[in-house]
Amino acid sequence: MATARPTTSARRLTELLDPKFMARLDSLDVLSRKILQGKLQGERRSKRRGQSVEFADHRPYVAGDDLRFVDWNIYGRLEQLFLKLFLEEQDLTVHVLLDTSASMGTGDPSKERFTKKLAAALGYISLVNNNRLTLSLFGDGLRSQLPNLRGRNYLPHMAELLLGTACDGFSDFEKACHEAAAGRLGTGVTVVVSDFLFKQGYESGLRRLIGEKYDLYVVQVLSPQEITPDLAGDLKLLDVEDGDAAEITATSALIQYYKRNLAAYCSELRDFCTRRGAVCVRASSGDSVESLVLNYLRRIRLLR
Amino acid sequence: MEWLTPLMGLYAAAAAVPLLLVLYFLKLKRRETAVSSTLLWKRAVRDLQVNAPFQRLRRNLLLLLQLLALTAMLLALAGPVLALRRGPGRRYVLLIDRSASMNAIDVEPSRLAEARKQAKVFVESMRSGSLVSLHDQADYAMVIAFDGRAKVMCNFTADKPQLLAAIDAIETGHGASRLGEAVTVARAFAQGRSGENNGAAGETGARLVLFSDGRIEDLDSILIDSDELVFHHIGETGENVAITAMDARRSYEQPEQVEVFVSLANYGSDSVTRDVQLGVNGDVRAVRSATIPGCQQASDASPFRPGKVAVSFSLSYGGAGVLDVRKVGDDVLTCDDSAWAVLEPPRRLSVLLVTPGNPVLESALRACPLARLDPCTPAGFDAMDPAAFALERPYDLIVLDNHVPAHLPRCQYLVFGAPPGGIDVNAPREIEKQIVVDWRAQHPVLQYVNLTNLFTARAHRLELPRDADVLAEFNESPAIAFLRRDGRDCLLVGFDVMQSNWPFEPGFVLFCYNALNFLGTQLGGAEPHELEVNQPIRIAEVPAESVATITRPDGSDVAVEPDADGTVRFPATQHVGVYAADIPGRPRRVFAVNLADEKESRIEPQREMHFSGTTVAAATQTVQRANVPLWPVLVLVALLLACVEWLVYNQRVRI
Repeated sequence: MATARPTTSARRLTELLDPKFMARLDSLDVLSRKILQGKLQGERRSKRRGQSVEFADHRPYVAGDDLRFVDWNIYGRLEQLFLKLFLEEQDLTVHVLLDTSASMGTGDPSKERFTKKLAAALGYISLVNNNRLTLSLFGDGLRSQLPNLRGRNYLPHMAELLLGTACDGFSDFEKACHEAAAGRLGTGVTVVVSDFLFKQGYESGLRRLIGEKYDLYVVQVLSPQEITPDLAGDLKLLDVEDGDAAEITATSALIQYYKRNLAAYCSELRDFCTRRGAVCVRASSGDSVESLVLNYLRRIRLLR
Repeated sequence: MEWLTPLMGLYAAAAAVPLLLVLYFLKLKRRETAVSSTLLWKRAVRDLQVNAPFQRLRRNLLLLLQLLALTAMLLALAGPVLALRRGPGRRYVLLIDRSASMNAIDVEPSRLAEARKQAKVFVESMRSGSLVSLHDQADYAMVIAFDGRAKVMCNFTADKPQLLAAIDAIETGHGASRLGEAVTVARAFAQGRSGENNGAAGETGARLVLFSDGRIEDLDSILIDSDELVFHHIGETGENVAITAMDARRSYEQPEQVEVFVSLANYGSDSVTRDVQLGVNGDVRAVRSATIPGCQQASDASPFRPGKVAVSFSLSYGGAGVLDVRKVGDDVLTCDDSAWAVLEPPRRLSVLLVTPGNPVLESALRACPLARLDPCTPAGFDAMDPAAFALERPYDLIVLDNHVPAHLPRCQYLVFGAPPGGIDVNAPREIEKQIVVDWRAQHPVLQYVNLTNLFTARAHRLELPRDADVLAEFNESPAIAFLRRDGRDCLLVGFDVMQSNWPFEPGFVLFCYNALNFLGTQLGGAEPHELEVNQPIRIAEVPAESVATITRPDGSDVAVEPDADGTVRFPATQHVGVYAADIPGRPRRVFAVNLADEKESRIEPQREMHFSGTTVAAATQTVQRANVPLWPVLVLVALLLACVEWLVYNQRVRI
């Protein structure tokens, strides 16, 4: 697992996100369905009551409690020891896993562009809202990672990583997920952006990412050519990743079967996610990232 | 609709259709396309194969078009025809007239070419069979070309290219037209074929299809069923002016002087004026203008009389040569616009007089215009070598006076007294005191000869063969006779002139003159120079090892070898004109072949042919197609389908 460091010749974020879009992203924040403990006192309420400014309740003192939280004013009046309880505000970790295998480089408009834009938007929102952002690019295992970024200062680093990585090579989703899950700390939201066309299957990989501490969001991005194939005649289809060949005669019947298979595959993925409390989103690289982020992701309450 | 070669189509279909499908499945060239993942495609293909094995054939426009094109081609191979005529195969005999009148150019390019064209259309419309057809329904045809004689160009066959080639091979001729031989030959071939072939083709008789202008001489002698013959009439006009006769003669007294007689005939209804030119060896010597009246025919029943006029030329020409007479001005038939005559040089006889001594005869012969007269004794004559005599031919004529030679060389003979042996004439006894009771005063030998006062004391009683020509008779025996035996012409006088009072008669000198003149012309006429069309050229006594070269009027040469008898025969005198024969070591011989046939020069086409007892009218329609082959249409359809398939493929229509 390589860790990318920002360089001085940072690519500009505006190559991925235009300023207007960024302005609209400023008003958004990442939402977690679970109120989760953060490592630092952040801007978020957590379930844990602790050191914070927001008063929650009182409770009787029991031996061993921190004497700093005893409410001495009440002891003065009632001569009983009560502790002040506060709601602790915690930060949120946003873990974006972006697929950069060769299959993501296909399509017109390219899935690569779409997914990188999406990742940039999510990263932007996270950094702007002082969330902890971990950006991981995976293919045949994790390729590069920017762990635990916080604050606007890291925006160029993020853009540099996204723009500096090309989509190529094989994909090994399970290995990537294993590595990502092992390096994951704290709690938060995990967003996996990929086409999920993995020959060895996506189930075992996703299973590793699903856990109590993290919300899992699965964004499946397909190109328009994958959704509605524009093929005719006798063809030899070559897989861009492993070079596997499939000889087909593109008849309407075959295309029907393809579409049926694709629909079944997508719905399997959705069901798999739903059963495990994850949210699956399907997008086409022909659509606009803006509407996906501003509308759809808000509707499913990934953002607010 | 019928199928000519359905089996062929079936075989081809059995091979080609699976081949196309196999080729379709095993297409070698697939376009390579990169996709993000073959995962779903492989599943789709698997599903497709599991669910519908023939799915890929369904609604595949390209394959459908290819199959349709292939089907069209296979159907074309099966040879469908739109049969305008049904029933079993028929047999036809195409009789094509190639006589002189068919050379007329009143139809473009000529009547014969038109006949060939119509015959070809007929052949092409025949139903053709095939080796692999289900049943033999082919039409068979044979081709006979005829003028004076019939020539089989092609025997019965269903092979159209062969028939067409045979029709193309028919050459023009300038002969008369006689159909009888052609009909006989056609019937003989038809029967011969039906005997060996029990199939459908042999059941009905052959039908005769005649392409002619209808000017056929021997129609009266041909018996024909009214439905046996179909007559396709060719020709439009009858306007023609022809040279129908020509004769050129030298005067005997003045051999330099040549008289030429030409007869012109006009077959048109209006009188015409034409120039006639006379040439010698190609140089024009004289031109005469002649007005020829129109033909006369009061009604259909009355005989046809062409307008005729005679033109005569007189010229002085001493050498040998070819006279040609030409009618100036074109008409539709050119082969009767010229005539030729071969002019021999003036000839004087060389005479051998074999006599024991006869001053009267000798002086009478010397009075005649001879090249030479050699007296000879009987002993001297017998001493001559007959073989050398026959080879060298030193004399044209031998006069035998009271001498019976031991051998008789081939020559002309004037015999006085006892007849020689070997000519089938016997003289068993002598008779006495004879006078002439009858003679043929019109015969050239006895012209101006009065035999009334002839008396002979002794004469031989001649016993002549039946073919002898008796010119004068005593009361008991022939007195003068002419006989031809083995190439020898013998003029026999059955008595010794010295035993008669003939020397004192003026008729004796006249007789000698006439006899030499007559035998001289017989000598020259042994091998005629003027021939009719198709009359063979004959040249006798050609050495076995030499080859005669015959030059035709068009300038081409033919080498002809003599047969075992030493005779050169060249029968192919189909065209009018001058034929020359060159034999090494011999002077060139020239033959003039003339049409000189009034019937052939009458070119007016006939629409009805009056056979013996039957009248056949010309077919009103031109040659009708018996069937229409449909394969070109199918091939066209296949081509169009292939084009559409190509278009579809190129436009990458979503299928």
